[in-house]
This record gives sequence, C-alpha cells and structure tokens, in this order.
Amino acid sequence: MTFKRIQVAADSVCDLPAEIVNNLDIRIIPTYVNIDDQSIPDDGARLDRQAFYRQLPSMRAQPTTSAPSPGEAEAFYRDMLNDGAGKIVSIHVPERLSGVLNTMRLGARAVDEGRVTLVDSLQLTFGIGFQVWAAAELAVEGASLDDILEAIERVRQHTEVYAIIDTMQYLQRSGRVNSLVAGIGTLLKIKPIVRVADGDITSLARSRTWSRAEAKLKALTQDQAPLDRLAILHIDNRVGAERFLDSIREIAPQETHIIEVCPTLGAHIGPGSIGVATLKQDWRN
Amino acid sequence: MSSCRGKNSVDGKALKLALASAIAQFSRHVDRINEMNVFPVPDGDTGINMYHTLQRAYSEISHLDDSDVAEVSRRFAYGALMGARGNSGTILSQLLKGFAEQLQTAEALDTPQFALACKRAAQFAYEAVTSPVEGTILTVAREAAETLDLHANDVMALPDALDILVRAAQASLRRTPELLPILKESGVVDSGALGLVLFLEGLASSDGKFDFPGKAESPVAAGPGALMDSSSDASYGYDVQFLMLGKGLNIAQIRQDLGQVGWSLLVVGDDSAVKVHIHVDNPALPIDYAVQSGATLDDIVVENMELQFQRRPRRETSFAATPKHQAREAYGMIAVAPGDGLRAVFEDLGCEAVIPGGQGRNPSVEDFLVSIDSVNAASLFILPNNRNIILTARQAAENAAERRVDVLPTTSVIQGISALIALRSFEDSGEDVSGGLDSALSEMRAAAQQVCSIEIARATRDSRLGGLAIRCGDFLATGDGQILVAGATIEASMLDALAKVLKAEHELVTLYYGDDIQEREAKKLIERLSFTYSELEFDLVYGGQDLYPFLIGLE
Repeated sequence: MTFKRIQVAADSVCDLPAEIVNNLDIRIIPTYVNIDDQSIPDDGARLDRQAFYRQLPSMRAQPTTSAPSPGEAEAFYRDMLNDGAGKIVSIHVPERLSGVLNTMRLGARAVDEGRVTLVDSLQLTFGIGFQVWAAAELAVEGASLDDILEAIERVRQHTEVYAIIDTMQYLQRSGRVNSLVAGIGTLLKIKPIVRVADGDITSLARSRTWSRAEAKLKALTQDQAPLDRLAILHIDNRVGAERFLDSIREIAPQETHIIEVCPTLGAHIGPGSIGVATLKQDWRN
Repeated sequence: MSSCRGKNSVDGKALKLALASAIAQFSRHVDRINEMNVFPVPDGDTGINMYHTLQRAYSEISHLDDSDVAEVSRRFAYGALMGARGNSGTILSQLLKGFAEQLQTAEALDTPQFALACKRAAQFAYEAVTSPVEGTILTVAREAAETLDLHANDVMALPDALDILVRAAQASLRRTPELLPILKESGVVDSGALGLVLFLEGLASSDGKFDFPGKAESPVAAGPGALMDSSSDASYGYDVQFLMLGKGLNIAQIRQDLGQVGWSLLVVGDDSAVKVHIHVDNPALPIDYAVQSGATLDDIVVENMELQFQRRPRRETSFAATPKHQAREAYGMIAVAPGDGLRAVFEDLGCEAVIPGGQGRNPSVEDFLVSIDSVNAASLFILPNNRNIILTARQAAENAAERRVDVLPTTSVIQGISALIALRSFEDSGEDVSGGLDSALSEMRAAAQQVCSIEIARATRDSRLGGLAIRCGDFLATGDGQILVAGATIEASMLDALAKVLKAEHELVTLYYGDDIQEREAKKLIERLSFTYSELEFDLVYGGQDLYPFLIGLE
C-alpha cells in the first residue's frame, strides 16, 4: 500500500510568506486583480504590491478582484494529485465575501470530489494563513485528515484579526461589505477598528483619529496574549506596522511576521491601514 | 375721583388681562433685548425667545373666561413650559411655574400670596439651573422677590406690591454688570434680566386692570387681550411715551387721569420728572393732557402698534423630525443642528431625529417633546449642541412621558458629533447600551470633552472684547465660548485661531462650511491650511449652517 500524502492548498489571500509556503510545500492558487481591462494574478510575482498600492489612490476606476476560473481550479487540483497527493485540504477566503470557494468546488468536482476537502476559513489574510500553516505542519508530520481538520478548527477559534481602516472610501466603492459601510456612515472621515470573524467584517469601535484607533488596536492585541504566532498587517504602511510592533513588543512571540496584505484584499481596503492577526498559545492545548 | 388703588386682590380674569397687557408691552422691546447680546456675534435671541415663550404661555389662557387665579397661573405656566425657548425662556418658564405652584389653592391673588409666589418663583428658577450664574435673570428674580418679601404686608395694595417688585428688579438689573464681568466689559446689562424687568413693568403698567377686575368687559380692557389674538379685527392703537418735567408733579393724579384715556398705563418718576407710557386709540389725548397740566414734555415717542404687530417676529413652524424605525428601539437619539448638511451628518451617524436649530434659533420644549414622541424608542438621548438649548432640552426630558430621556450637555455640533460617534463606537464594541445607559453616557461625555471647537462668525458691530478691537465685518473666531481672534479674512482668523488652539495631540481638523460658502472656496482654503499644517489631516464637510461660515473641530 502506497503512502497517501495529504496536500495542503490555499488561495493567495492567505498571505503566507514564500519561505513558509516553500518549506511546508503548500500549494497556492492566485486570485486576480483587475485593473482597467487587465486581469493580473495576485501571486506576489506578476503584481508588484508596492507599485500597486502607490498607484491605487490615483487610479481612474477602483480595481476589482476575482476568483480563479473553474478551469484553473481543476488544473490546480489535478497537478497536486498527479504529484502524488492522496488527499487535498483546500483552505479559502470566506464564501460570504468571495466566489473563490465556489470555483474551487467546481474544480474539485471535475477532478475527484472525494479527495478534496474544502474549508471555509471564515477568515482573511493571515487569519487564513494561521490555519494553512498549522495544517501544513501537521500534514508534514503525517497527521490524519481528521486531525488536520480538527487543528484548523482549533486555530480558527484562537485567532483574532483586527485592523484599523484608515479610510472608508475604498470599502464604500468596493461594495463587498455593505453592512459595515452602511453602519459607519459616509459623510465624515471615520476610522473604524474592525474585526474579521465568522467570515464577516464588523466594526468594533470607531475613531476619528489614528492615535485613538491605534490605542484601541493595541489594547485588543494585548488582550490576546500570550501569543503563539503574530502577524502585523499593513497596506503600504510598513513604517506604521513597525511602529505598532514596537508598541506591543513585550507580547510579540518568536513567530512574528510583518505582512503587507495582498492587493486582492488591499484593493478593497486601501493604503494606510494596519492590522494584526493573532494566534493564542492556547490553541495547542 | 376716588383712588383706584383700594383693591387688595385680583381674580383670574384680571390676572389674564394683566398678562396680556404685559406681553403686548414686552413685544415692543424684543429687538432691544436682542441687542443686549454680550458678544458681537449674532446670538441676540433672548428677546425673541422670551417673547415666544410668553406667547405660547398666553395661548393656554386666551380662551379662559371665568377661571380663578390658580387655573390661570397654572395654565400660563404650563404654556410657558411647553413653549420655552433658550435659556431665558426656560428660566422664565420656571419662574412662572414656581409662581403658579404657590397659587394652586388661591381663588384670588393678594399681596402676601403675591410675595410668597415671587419667592417661590425665584427658588424654582434657581433649582432649574445646574450652576446658577449671578448677574442674570436669576439674580433679578431673587433680589426683587426678597425686597418684596421684606416690605410686603397684609394691608398693602397689590399694585403697590407690584411697584416695589418692579423697582427692586430695576435696581437689581442695574447691578448685573457688577456681578458678571462680561456684561461690564461690553457695557450692557444682562439681556434675560432686562426681559424679566420689562415683563414685570408690563404687569405693573396694566395697573388699572390689575386693580379693577370688574372692568374686564370694557372695550378698553379688551384691547391688550385682543392683541394676542391675531384673528381679531380689534385695533391695536398707539403706544405713547413721554417725559413730563416740572415742579410738584403728582404721580398719583397723573396716573388716575391718564387711566381714563388709555390702557397699559405706566407712570413712574418723582415730583420733578415723570415718565409716562400708555396705549391709546388717539395719541393726541395723553399728550394734550400733559401739555395742559403745565409740564414740559420731552422724549415723546408715538408708535403704531398695529403695524408693529403685523411686523412682529413669527415663530418658525417648519419643524421636521424623522421617525425612522417602525419597531420600538431600545434607545434613540435626537440632536439639534442648524443647516441641511449638519442635519445629514447627524442622520448619517444614525440620529433618529434632527431638530433644526442652534445659535439664534432655539427650539422650544414643545419642539423637543414632538420630536421625542416621533422616535419610537424606549429611552432617548438628546444632543442640544448649544449652550442656550441645554436647559430647554432638560425641561423637555423631565416632561417626557414614561420614558427615560438623557440630555448630554453638548455645547456645539462639534461636540455632538463626537458624542454620537462615541455612542456608535460603544455599540460596535458589543456593549449593551440600553442595559448600561450610564456607561454609554459617560463614553459620550468623554468624547464631547475631548474635541476642541472653533467657530468662525462675522462680527455684526464694532466692539472691544477681551482686549481685542473688533470691527464690524471682521471674522471672529471663538472657541468654548471665548473669543480667540478677529481677522479681516476667514483665512487669517482661522490660521490665527488654529495657532492658538492647536495642541501636539491634535491630528484631525474637520471643517463644516456654511450655507454662504462655496465648496470650491472651502477646498482652496483647505489646500492652504494643509500647506501650513502638513502633519494634520483635514476633513471638509458641508454643514450648510447659517451665521457661521465655518465650524471647526479639532481632535
């Protein structure tokens, strides 16, 4: 009987850095950013993040984003199976916010539905990343599918993703989170402190100034300590991210990453924002 | 002719007529009271607020014919409470409420009761104000009542008691600048206090009727009552004032004689100078009488009251509240804001009702109650957003039926907006607002206090304030009730004001531009401000407010 390896896969919205992806043999399918009539895969190579965010404020039309095609999803899974994967755990951006899971489901059906387990991460950016990371580690260790799925669930329960939305103008134009936008109002500049959970983005607090928003973000982050893993998230605001990390240095674990959020998400949120993804130590208990 | 001063009490009918006469007289002084504003910004609305309060009060008694003093005073006070606008109107309503409460078992009003009622009135007014300021209408009400209390006795005629009260109030009014430095600096007396004195003078000058309840049916007595009834065809007559100069002038005789030719008579002075103020159908009669008496006449003023009545300020009824929710909410929010832009801002932040108003346009208790009724929520917060509206809002809150209504004492729309955002933030955090109204309130209060505000207004006259020479037409920047700077242009005064007020912790400057400012103009201004303050974030929002080209929030 041949060894049936479990392959972990995800879409590019998980924001895992290349070294983790490569070391743990994680397969990533890129989502797309559409600028004017160009559709660019958000794979960290063909779309330059820095250049994209610098140009975003002056773009004539706000870029849109899209899921991979079903054909690409099918090819993505077929490649993994051809490479000897026995089963695939495929972890994705929430169905509530994106069409990715739907196309991945179509792709899986076209290949072998029984061998692909689709997971709605109910999270965004590194909130997905933590799940993918933990799943891949377990897969490398030879854990069972059930153990991996159970670990993903535990990671999810111990994860928080918070962010300061510097300006609501991008979310307003994006139309993806209308409930959030409608609640915040549109006439004044307000910086909501948002929480990503259960596949949705909700406001936790509203501030008109950055410093008060950042104080709130800091308090929320500190409430999660002790941490197993931490990502400081930013959109074209590395200086802000580093300054924030300095302010919570005492609770930052060994595994702390500063992550520039992918354009697929960033196009909807806009430059300037910072956030955190936290994973509590408790998840391992 | 026998003296008309023998009666020691009045009944309800006489009280009603006296009130009508006093209000009619008060209406003539509205502008004068308005002009007594201590700031050169156009916030002179004391007179119009008090007048509206009195008008609304009278509407409650205008149809009463055979009511006793208790009923007339109670209903008048109720009307004042419902119509109270502005600080002075609200305090006036409290004075009337206290006065009425003292008379609740009285059929007729005599001197001892009158003195007690005046004392009770002052007490009520003081209790209505969180931190009473001396040198205002409160001081005048209290000192006048105290003086009357000292002199009143069982045998004193009511008109004499009223005379003592008026004189004491006048003396107290003259002392207000000594008690309130801002008045002295501006060379004025307190406008609300002046309003009270004029109202009391009006009561006193209705002497003849106050004294003669039996005359109520006479055509002369019906004059002032008709003045309050705009549907009546009755003539309003002329208002005549003059000064009689001479030797050995007999005030009592003059009062008695002139009482025959007109109504709303006021005769004050001494044996060498007597001021006469009377309403007549024929202005020649009192003047002729004075000339015939051998006195020298001075300061003759004749005004056509009919024309004045037609030109009187009318209360705006364009009142709009916006009930938004069908199901009963746990709590709702009512704000007062001037301008369509600011209204939209409050609505955008989830305010259930926005009452148009602000500086120079204070909503009444009734406006608040209508708005409270329109919001289907178990409890309510009110953001008055103006110093002069807080008391009225509190009155409304106390009178709201079966609901908890909290008034957050916001003194500017800037504070109100901050408080509202804080409430929304509190909700966002998952806190149960309806279960913890007090914590919600303290969050809102903290947010309101954190924000600084600057108002830019145009000075309406030359003046000197806080060491600043202000020219008419200057742009005046005020903050937290203090004058900051005056400049020839909006930009100059704004830059100077920012330099004065900005602190290191400030990050965001929000500018709400008024109805007479073009968006293009405002944007250019922001560009120049961002050049000077490149580290600050600016937010330009259409406010649409009148009087203030810009309202500015700093946080």
